[in-house]
Amino acid sequence: MKLEAKREHLLKPLQSVIGAVERRQTLPILTNVLVNATEQALTLTATDLEVELCARAELPAETPGAITLPARRLHDILRALPEDATVTVTADGDKTTVRCGRSRFTLATLPASDFPTLENLPLEGEIRVPQGALRSMIERTHFAMAQQDVRYYLNGLLLEVSSGIVRLVATDGHRLAFQELATEAEVAEPRQVIVPRKGIMELMRLLADNDAEATLALSPNHIRVTLGEIRFTSKLIDGKFPDYLRVIPREGGRVVIADRMLLRSALARTGIVLNDKSQGVRLQLEDWILRTQAKNSDQEEAEEEIEINYTGGPMEIGFNVTYMLDALGALSGELAKLSFSDASSSCLIEEAEGGASKHVIMPMRL
Amino acid sequence: MCKSYIISPLLTSRIQLLPPQLISQIAAGEVVERPASVVKELLENSLDAGASRIVVEVEQAGVRLIRIRDNGSGITPDDLALALTRHATSKIASFDDLQQVASLGFRGEALPSIASVSRLTLTSRTAGQDSGWRISGDAMDEAAPVPHPIGTTVEVRDLFFNVPARRKFLRSERTEFSHIEEGVRRLALSRFTVGFSLWHHQRVVLNLEPATDQIAWAQRVAELCGPEFIAASAFTDREDAGLRLWGWIGLPETARAQPDLQYFFVNGRPVRDRVINHALRQAYQDVLYRDRHPAAVLYLELDPAALDVNAHPTKQEVRFRESSPVHDFIRRTVQTALADIRPGTAPPPLIQVEGRSGGLVHRFSPPGPSGLPLRGVQERMSAYAQLHQATPAESDAAMTSATAIAITEPDPEPPLGYALGQLHGCYVLAENPSGLVVVDMHAAHERILYERLKAALAEGGLATQALLVPVTLTVNASERRQIEEQGNLFAKAGFEVALLGPEIAVVRQIPALLAGADIAGLVRDMLADLAAEQASDRSEAAILALLGSLACHGAIRVNRRLNLLEMNALLRDMERTDHGGQCNHGRPTWAQLTLEELDRLFRRGR
Repeated sequence: MKLEAKREHLLKPLQSVIGAVERRQTLPILTNVLVNATEQALTLTATDLEVELCARAELPAETPGAITLPARRLHDILRALPEDATVTVTADGDKTTVRCGRSRFTLATLPASDFPTLENLPLEGEIRVPQGALRSMIERTHFAMAQQDVRYYLNGLLLEVSSGIVRLVATDGHRLAFQELATEAEVAEPRQVIVPRKGIMELMRLLADNDAEATLALSPNHIRVTLGEIRFTSKLIDGKFPDYLRVIPREGGRVVIADRMLLRSALARTGIVLNDKSQGVRLQLEDWILRTQAKNSDQEEAEEEIEINYTGGPMEIGFNVTYMLDALGALSGELAKLSFSDASSSCLIEEAEGGASKHVIMPMRL
Repeated sequence: MCKSYIISPLLTSRIQLLPPQLISQIAAGEVVERPASVVKELLENSLDAGASRIVVEVEQAGVRLIRIRDNGSGITPDDLALALTRHATSKIASFDDLQQVASLGFRGEALPSIASVSRLTLTSRTAGQDSGWRISGDAMDEAAPVPHPIGTTVEVRDLFFNVPARRKFLRSERTEFSHIEEGVRRLALSRFTVGFSLWHHQRVVLNLEPATDQIAWAQRVAELCGPEFIAASAFTDREDAGLRLWGWIGLPETARAQPDLQYFFVNGRPVRDRVINHALRQAYQDVLYRDRHPAAVLYLELDPAALDVNAHPTKQEVRFRESSPVHDFIRRTVQTALADIRPGTAPPPLIQVEGRSGGLVHRFSPPGPSGLPLRGVQERMSAYAQLHQATPAESDAAMTSATAIAITEPDPEPPLGYALGQLHGCYVLAENPSGLVVVDMHAAHERILYERLKAALAEGGLATQALLVPVTLTVNASERRQIEEQGNLFAKAGFEVALLGPEIAVVRQIPALLAGADIAGLVRDMLADLAAEQASDRSEAAILALLGSLACHGAIRVNRRLNLLEMNALLRDMERTDHGGQCNHGRPTWAQLTLEELDRLFRRGR
């Protein structure tokens, strides 16, 4: 295999895939990146067996071939080379030489045939969505995913595709984030899949914040998202996600309309006295007034008062302040709507104008 | 004809007064049980006489000879004969005196009792005399003048020569001598200002100089209880409401398999007391590993009027007029002192147990640059580092390189240092100025959680988090019964568990502190622990036990991967937490491998 290219043309696809290479790999070949050079193009593939990233670049090879190279080492070399330099990669037997000007590196290789790839997946039901929209959906839900929970199906994001609609749902058992997006796609059969946490984080990094197209496709055990030259594939979590529709309450009897940023900054300030032992913040509702209160184990206290649109009578309820801040931060719009039924039932937080986001938080007893 | 050994009525005998010698021998049965009792009684007399130096010489474990020489006030020649008479004493004179005895002895029984079962000579000279006077125990002769320095010498030869039964029941020489040694040890611990020496077969066994300051006290404790004890103990001193408790309490990780290192002194009197024992045991309640016993040398001081020492002939037992405040005071004091033992204030538990020789030298941790701010009266052992002149110099030299960096930084290095990484998903490794710290992350987190749960409960209830997605679990018959019967207890601990059907339970609410835990596993483990303990839901112990098992099952498990931030947070939490050195089963949570020990592994600097 022989390949000659500008440094940037090699570095850019490599940077897109390197996120899949785990630092602490037990399988040596997984620290490598698969370099597949054909007469038309170059593809780089990296995987940790859960998430596979593949980047393509229009770089015809002088001599086609496939080889795997140590991903981080190659990345470090390319980054260190001068801009606009021309790099030549030559594979010969079990050694690969990288040349650039007067620099020469010899890298150890492993055979490309040993590299595990996810080609030929039985994919179906392609859905096209703008990358920016998908990215914002993930940004508005991913924080509610569980982390290292024994209920493994919570350590990921639920993706539900049905005709005309895509939904993302995340919950850690205490709160839930829900987001939906209208599409034009027709889906033969609605499907629910759970994408693992690592895949979601990687995907969020790759998605551009513009209207370029992302194509989602599902196989029984995988999801593939194609973003132009980059192809993201992740395993799915095999499990049953909780029934989110049952969890999202109907609009409760007491509805608060508040200035979203005002409420958020009041809560953030109140939360300053809290430490990791107690995250509980108390909300006291009165007609037209919301008081937030927090107290820690050293008896330090914080209190804030804001004006709200509310006439449901006095009520007191406690919440984990982080959950509140996450939810309010994930909404857009000037006004937020909080619906309560009573102090021991969940709270629904939405945009006041109505929107595609819903957040449900269970109260704390303080 | 066979002789009957059964007690039978002697119908023919008339009642008669016993001869004085026999009366004394009967009385001796109570007081003089074995050679060690003789030594104890005579030592107490010497101490009561204000001696500042006492020499004990014994031969054949005291059976052939016990000679006790002191430099106390002595006895005037006229009183010598009286001293050997029963119920004759200079220590108390009236009933009022008995109410508040300040001396060790007061019954006036010891000398005549001993004299009745041995060949005793008593030699004494007071400051006013030109020479000493001697009298023998059978009191046949008048006192005769002999040369003698100021003070008293009591010589007891051929103990039990006239009580063959007693003699037969004596144990081996070694056992009897160890009893004598123990007796001397107890009294030596009770009076730091008195010099003691103990000789056996003309060889020095113990030689203790009078100790005047705290460093010398610690040195004496080290000599008597072993250097390991003093190195792994905390000094405490607290006074409250007419009670004062001071002394050394052993760190939980050095607890012993037997309760053989527990010395209690009430107003300078060595005692064995159930109230004190129980209070100590309670104070160590959730820091001791299984059936271990704490080590302690403790001095309780209180108004003599609140104490009855006349409870037992050997005066080993005392009665407190009001035992429950004493019990509470001791428990609280020890508990506070234990809670104050933090990383950086306590000598680190060692990975390698050093041999007796030189153990002290290695066990001393170099005094940290500042450590943590100490609460209360607790003092750190670093003060005693002066004891061992070689240590500071040695360790200073070794430490210079490591501490130099710490000194230049404005922030003091935290005692447990900063995390380096995780080992086998089980241990957190951290670097501090002394070397490597190894933390058992589950045990450490368990203690942190337990203390937080306890604190939250004490503050008026645990904060709870309702579950958006309730957790269901299948239960068996015994688990179902626990859920039905222990509902209150669960609610107190912040859980809402309900039965959905005969075999399905649902958890709707959990303590907020356990938000990240495996809920189904936690509840199941809790049910199993409850079933095993058969706890009632009323007692405080039951709820503590429940919190304990919550902490155990809620703490991070082995193989949980932590990042450096989380590990450092854990280390800082440990430094702040009471009893941070042990998990609530008493296992240690961390250990220090010092640079010296590591150097030794690699033969560096040799």
